[in-house]
Amino acid sequence: MKLSRREFLALGAKATAGTMIFAACGLPERELIVQSPIDMPEDLVRGEDAWYATTWPDMPGGDGLIVRVMQGRAKKIAGNPDHPVNLGKQSSRHDAAIQLTYHPDRISEPMHRQSKGGLYDPISWGRAQQLLENAVEAGRDNLAVVTNPLGGHIEWVAINFAALYGGRHIKFDPTEQGVMQDAIRFVYEQEDPPHYDISNANTVLSIGADWLSTWQSSVGYSVRYGEFRSKDHRGYLIHAEPRMSMTAANADLWLPVMPGYEGHIAMSIAQVIVDERLTGSGEISRFFNQIPTASLVGFRPEDVEERVGVSAYKIRKAARKFAENRPSLAFAGGSAGGHTNGQFNIAATHALNTLVGAVGSDGGVKYNPLSAIDGLTGRCSGDSFTDWEVELAQWRGGNVQTVIVRGADIVHGMPNSVDVAGALENVPTVIGFGSVMNDTLANCDLIIPEQTFLETWGTTIPDPAPGYEVVTIQQPVIGPTEMASGGLIADARGFGDELLRIAGGELGADDMEELVGASIDQLYDLNRGSVSAPNKRLFRQGVLQRGGWWDTKATVETPSDHAPPNVFDLDSSVVFSDTDGLGDGADFHLVPFLSNSLYEGRLSATPFAIQNPDPMSSAAWATWAEINDAEADHLGIREGDVLFIKSEYGEIEALAYPTPGGRPGVIGIPIGLGHENGGRYDEGLGSNVLKILAPKVETASGSLAWAATRVRVARSGRKRELAKFEGEVTAFPVEPGVPVLVVAPGETAHDAEIANHHEYQKNFLLPDSGSEGGESSGGDH
Amino acid sequence: MTLQREKRDYSWGMVVDVDKCTGCQACVLACQAENNVPLNLQDRFERARVMSWIRVERYWEGEFPDVKARFIPIMCQHCENAPCEPVCPVFATYHNNEGLNVQVYNRCVGTRYCANGCPYIVRFFNYWEPVWPEAFRNHLNPDVTVRSRGIMEKCSFCIQRIRRGVRNAEREDRKVVDGEIQTACTQACPTNALVFGNFNDPDSQVAQMKDDDRHYTLLPHLETDPNVIYLAQVDTDRSGGESHG
Amino acid sequence: MQQRRTIDQIHTNRVLLNGQLDTPKWWAPTVITLGIIVAIGFFMIGIMVNKGLGVTGLSRPVYWGLFITTFVFWVGISHAGIMISAILRLSQAEWRRPVTRAAELLTVFSLLTALLFPLMHAGRPWRIAYYILPYDFARGIMPNVRSPLIWDPVAISTYLTGSTLFLYIALLPDLGNLRDRTTGWQKALYTILALGWRGNPRQWKLQTVGGILLSALMLPIFVSVHSIVSWDFAVTPAVEGWHSTIFAPYFVIGAVHSGVSAVVTMMALMRWLWKWEDFIRPEHFDALARLLIVVATGWLAFTFLELIFAVYGLDAPELALRELQIFQWPWNILFVTFVFTGYIIPVGMWLQKSVRNNIALMFWSSLFVNIGMWLERFLIIVPGLARKTPFVYTWEAYRPSGLEWFILFWSLAWVTFLMLLFSRFFPLVPLFEQKESQTFGDSIKIGRVKVPAIVREAD
Ligand SMILES: Nc1nc2c(c(=O)[nH]1)N[C@H]1C(S)=C(S)[C@@H](COP(=O)(O)OP(=O)(O)OC[C@H]3O[C@@H](n4cnc5c(=O)[nH]c(N)nc54)[C@H](O)[C@@H]3O)O[C@H]1N2
Ligand SMILES: Nc1nc2c(c(=O)[nH]1)N[C@H]1C(S)=C(S)[C@@H](COP(=O)(O)OP(=O)(O)OC[C@H]3O[C@@H](n4cnc5c(=O)[nH]c(N)nc54)[C@H](O)[C@@H]3O)O[C@H]1N2
Ligand code: SF4
Ligand code: SF4
Ligand code: SF4
Ligand code: SF4
Ligand code: SF4
Repeated sequence: MKLSRREFLALGAKATAGTMIFAACGLPERELIVQSPIDMPEDLVRGEDAWYATTWPDMPGGDGLIVRVMQGRAKKIAGNPDHPVNLGKQSSRHDAAIQLTYHPDRISEPMHRQSKGGLYDPISWGRAQQLLENAVEAGRDNLAVVTNPLGGHIEWVAINFAALYGGRHIKFDPTEQGVMQDAIRFVYEQEDPPHYDISNANTVLSIGADWLSTWQSSVGYSVRYGEFRSKDHRGYLIHAEPRMSMTAANADLWLPVMPGYEGHIAMSIAQVIVDERLTGSGEISRFFNQIPTASLVGFRPEDVEERVGVSAYKIRKAARKFAENRPSLAFAGGSAGGHTNGQFNIAATHALNTLVGAVGSDGGVKYNPLSAIDGLTGRCSGDSFTDWEVELAQWRGGNVQTVIVRGADIVHGMPNSVDVAGALENVPTVIGFGSVMNDTLANCDLIIPEQTFLETWGTTIPDPAPGYEVVTIQQPVIGPTEMASGGLIADARGFGDELLRIAGGELGADDMEELVGASIDQLYDLNRGSVSAPNKRLFRQGVLQRGGWWDTKATVETPSDHAPPNVFDLDSSVVFSDTDGLGDGADFHLVPFLSNSLYEGRLSATPFAIQNPDPMSSAAWATWAEINDAEADHLGIREGDVLFIKSEYGEIEALAYPTPGGRPGVIGIPIGLGHENGGRYDEGLGSNVLKILAPKVETASGSLAWAATRVRVARSGRKRELAKFEGEVTAFPVEPGVPVLVVAPGETAHDAEIANHHEYQKNFLLPDSGSEGGESSGGDH
Repeated sequence: MTLQREKRDYSWGMVVDVDKCTGCQACVLACQAENNVPLNLQDRFERARVMSWIRVERYWEGEFPDVKARFIPIMCQHCENAPCEPVCPVFATYHNNEGLNVQVYNRCVGTRYCANGCPYIVRFFNYWEPVWPEAFRNHLNPDVTVRSRGIMEKCSFCIQRIRRGVRNAEREDRKVVDGEIQTACTQACPTNALVFGNFNDPDSQVAQMKDDDRHYTLLPHLETDPNVIYLAQVDTDRSGGESHG
Repeated sequence: MQQRRTIDQIHTNRVLLNGQLDTPKWWAPTVITLGIIVAIGFFMIGIMVNKGLGVTGLSRPVYWGLFITTFVFWVGISHAGIMISAILRLSQAEWRRPVTRAAELLTVFSLLTALLFPLMHAGRPWRIAYYILPYDFARGIMPNVRSPLIWDPVAISTYLTGSTLFLYIALLPDLGNLRDRTTGWQKALYTILALGWRGNPRQWKLQTVGGILLSALMLPIFVSVHSIVSWDFAVTPAVEGWHSTIFAPYFVIGAVHSGVSAVVTMMALMRWLWKWEDFIRPEHFDALARLLIVVATGWLAFTFLELIFAVYGLDAPELALRELQIFQWPWNILFVTFVFTGYIIPVGMWLQKSVRNNIALMFWSSLFVNIGMWLERFLIIVPGLARKTPFVYTWEAYRPSGLEWFILFWSLAWVTFLMLLFSRFFPLVPLFEQKESQTFGDSIKIGRVKVPAIVREAD
């Protein structure tokens, strides 16, 4: 609104003389409103934008995404509102991912080095493809294709390409979920993990899995958590984990269990339920169908509280809530699986579902169907550490000619005990696909600029699916990006496209688009599901517009009379690494955890992710170590002290972060930083906790027991400011209810405010005057 | 000086259900990506100059093992009676006809007085010229000014999205329907702890949520009359007024 | 009380014009040294404007720091002028005569310096003209008259204008005097400046009346200037320790305390540097010290009232703030220093007659006061921001950068530099006042001391 001179004077006068005088002069109020006479750019709508649907196969969960594109540039990534997994929602990782495509240090052209440790020189694409083909040819029958855990078509291509040349496809995932998969197979005899109906549950008991932050489709789970909290009957969350993770922080009841004893606390809960007859005899007998009754002896909370480190009172409280406030649901994962008895921990937790009749019922566990497209699986876990040791031995022994790496930073992600870089030295040709440098690419002989997920075709099969068949389609939402200063940001190709090209039609398609297109046609032939169209062309359009295809009716039967196998067949005793002879310092139990924004380091090149404050510590730009504040005081450790974290297999530095949320005896360190090679932002930043993990393995599956390392912690004497968002004072409220007002169930905010006020006044006033508070607030509870 | 709430076509506001906020930080990065908020390099953290139009504060209660963490997202409260506005010597921050506290970057001279005036500490000053490597400029939002050094900035309720929504509605000459306009943070928030809408539309979600039993506003004693309404956290361990950690 | 001897006009002229007619040896080296510091200071400011305020130690929420503190400090100092020239003139305190000009000078220069701070600490100083010169219809919008930041420049520039005129009018007779005693370019300069002063009765009458009128006109400024400065803080409900209703009078009396103390410091220096023992006499210090005891005590009352009002509310964040301000390291050190240097030490000393008549001790005690008064402003402004509102999560510390410290000391050097420069070309003690007091010489009782005074000035 442009002010006329008259209005302007009136305005000035009104401002000075005050409202009263001009109130009578009949100027419409509108004329006197101070508006910017010149609109801001924000006030002008310029250009038309388009939102394209796609997905990011590299991230767990297979969330559907939409990307805002203007003038050929991706501007914003958000959740796909139609998608059944994440229902339009996203995590901070999704927004950060846009910087993978537009990274200033993006690998722009193929690079080649003549000899190991030699310098790279840029080469033409023609030359690169030639080298690639030669290497594959040379590697016939002793070829290894290494990727991160993928799903959908890209994995199909990797597997079949490797097979075509008589090689192996191996997957790497530092915090192995393989244990969980095996446990699921063991308990439910299911290939794919089941769907957890969190929204309809009244009590959720989760153990080890940080499902609100990084576990599986944390976004999908968070959406359901929102519904879980907003039901008329507000859901009650019990979470057992040694570290106060985001999920633990949001739990109504946090059981700070001693690492490795997650299964024991589950069995103790079972013991209480059985002992106190908190459930029907039907459930109890089904529970004991294969588990010997005697095996629960010695699991009374009073018996276990010592070893599991949680008071008997809290265990009983958890058991009663879990058994009485139904529908209830129990699941486990994450660090609970990262122990030598990982499978027991997870299986034991899942066995609890039988006790509350959660299997197959609403608000419980529902089995998932296999993928709608035959031959495609969901995002599966990595190969076990034991398999990897075997594989690496082959490399070391020079029995592998060619290794093709994509998306898996094995050099960064595997512990010192297996010297991956050393093994790669003995592989004649190592070829890496990637968009930004990392420690593994730095060990490759041929580096191939790879297109990012915004530039390629593909699919993901959500894992776990939401209880029915879902196929998410990935499409290129942008073409190659021209830089304003000229040239392409990267002359890149897709990993799948390149493999298909080399295979030369042997895999039934020339590129990913064709492959994906064929599968969409398959879905059309099914003639059911979310998209219906008169012909294949329109169907394809529909699927691309919706971001995928799903059929809510395509479910599988879940036996409600399910009886768990004898979980005690699994090894329940836990073994940790030693700390003898590691010099002076205090011993801690090391709990590495996936960073909420960097994940396992997949996003560590992007400043968006590096600077996104950690939910619990608010720290960024560093690798910190969470220690209980009282314990830190006792050890004379202050925030910002540079600590030496020593295990039998190495030593790293981390900045001390004493926190009220820490569990005494446990030190939590985020995974994700500590890259020796990377972009300008993460290279040499922080340290890599995975390096010092002891090679202890989970007894049943042979996976790495990544949470089984004990460390000795000593002060280095140095100090550095820990970059964190929280101010100089640890945030305990100075006044109850400010700014986070807490009400009891049924209590109104108003009553709570009054009650808090009187509570606060008690600090100053005489007892009798304080008691008025009690009365006036005592009202409705 | 601005139109009374009821006289407006639209009165934008937000309802924040603290009970649902998990502290996941999705809103924070969504806002940063949408609004070209400068990258917070390491020294910004060390010198306490982090820019975060929306932030998630984490408070502690009690001590181990009975310690509790509480999360609360805080962005500009778009106060009807905003203490930041009268103190700005150049009207670079003012209230518009839709209840928004607007920041006019090119008028701001950087006195930082408004930031002192704001009780919610949601105004952020550009101490340094923001750096955007050429490659990253590709993802900057063309609808939003890329700010320069020496000026104040803050949550705008994603005014650029509001404009787009209103424009589209006006083209079909109708009112904006509830849910049609989402801010970047509400769009991202996985638990739906953040809800945005028009308080003047009785059927809107925010209009219905804002009178919930759990509703409260931040620092009510300052009478800032915010357009952001909070719903209190529920804790089964709290027994009335007696225990609050 | 020492007996004052009569000084003939020849002697007066020679001694009081020694600054101009035969410059003392120390002058050139001192001015050059200061000049270098001043130059570096301006360079630093240049760096800050060029690189941005990132070079300071400011943060969020500590958005204001040393600069605003020092701004308030210099505005406070500037109250010396009003106090001496206006108040004492109207109350016809005869002993004020030798110091009126120096006081006015201090006022003018400290105001000029004070104005620089809000300008340099803005994010985009080059746009400040936007609201200093409001009438620009192209933008179709006035500056915001509700903002104290608009009234600061208004009040200060009014005060500056008043003081400058006052200074000039009082300077006219001496300019005539200099004109008659100089040759060459200096004579030419003084001729222009003297505006044809001849010293005839009509000119004297106009000059005197002008002086009195200006004094009267400056009285409201006496109240307004620091009140408005105090509103910069008082109108901010968001900051604990700022939103106090007694700030206006509190700041004004504090300003007088620091201003008059600054005059004492300056008088001692002048007496020592130019050997003006005959003109700046112990009883002047004695009288000022008595005045200061009253002012200081009144100010102390406000200080404690402010604390009591704050704590009385038992308001959590307010208590947290005071806890930081008074008890927490390093603030506790600052607070103790502030109380001792601002009141206990100096007033304790002034109560001794021996001290009141000992120039050296008066010099140091008055210096203490201004250390204390600077700390007072710092302790009001910064802790409030560091502990702003109950959002504990955002509480921060403030570590001023080296550059900020340097610019603070630069401002001291800058004011001294200007004073000395002035003293080279104009007499710091008004000759005519001096002679006038001789002619109308008489002594009346003020309190328990007899001070020279006159009953009427003009007729
Ligand atoms: N701030 C700023 N000012 C500038 C410039 C700048 O870069 N920034 N650039 C300068 C330059 S180079 C130029 S050319 C001018 C351009 O300035 P204008 O000539 O104002 O150009 P636009 O504002 O793009 O378009 C003017 C109006 O034409 C309408 N319009 C669009 N298509 C048609 C049509 O087919 N018929 C009719 N009748 N109207 C139509 C548009 O909706 C718009 O309202 O601006 C100059 N002024
Ligand atoms: N979406 C949209 N696009 C438009 C228009 C529109 O209305 N809408 N308008 C169109 C019109 S009418 C025009 S004229 C064009 C304008 O488009 P451009 O010609 O791109 O105009 P600018 O970007 O303003 O200026 C180009 C460059 O010139 C630089 N420059 C400024 N002064 C000088 C100088 O003295 N010497 C040199 N060498 N460089 C200088 C500026 O810094 C800038 O980088 O945009 C066209 N494109
Ligand atoms: S929250 Fe702060 S910035 Fe926003 S309107 Fe209120 S006072 Fe102004
Ligand atoms: S910083 Fe800008 S918006 Fe804030 S008060 Fe100063 S000029 Fe106004
Ligand atoms: S030049 Fe820019 S800042 Fe100045 S009036 Fe025009 S738009 Fe506003
Ligand atoms: S409303 Fe928009 S600007 Fe405000 S916090 Fe949310 S995303 Fe940021
Ligand atoms: S996105 Fe939602 S849940 Fe996550 S922190 Fe922000 S408000 Fe809380």
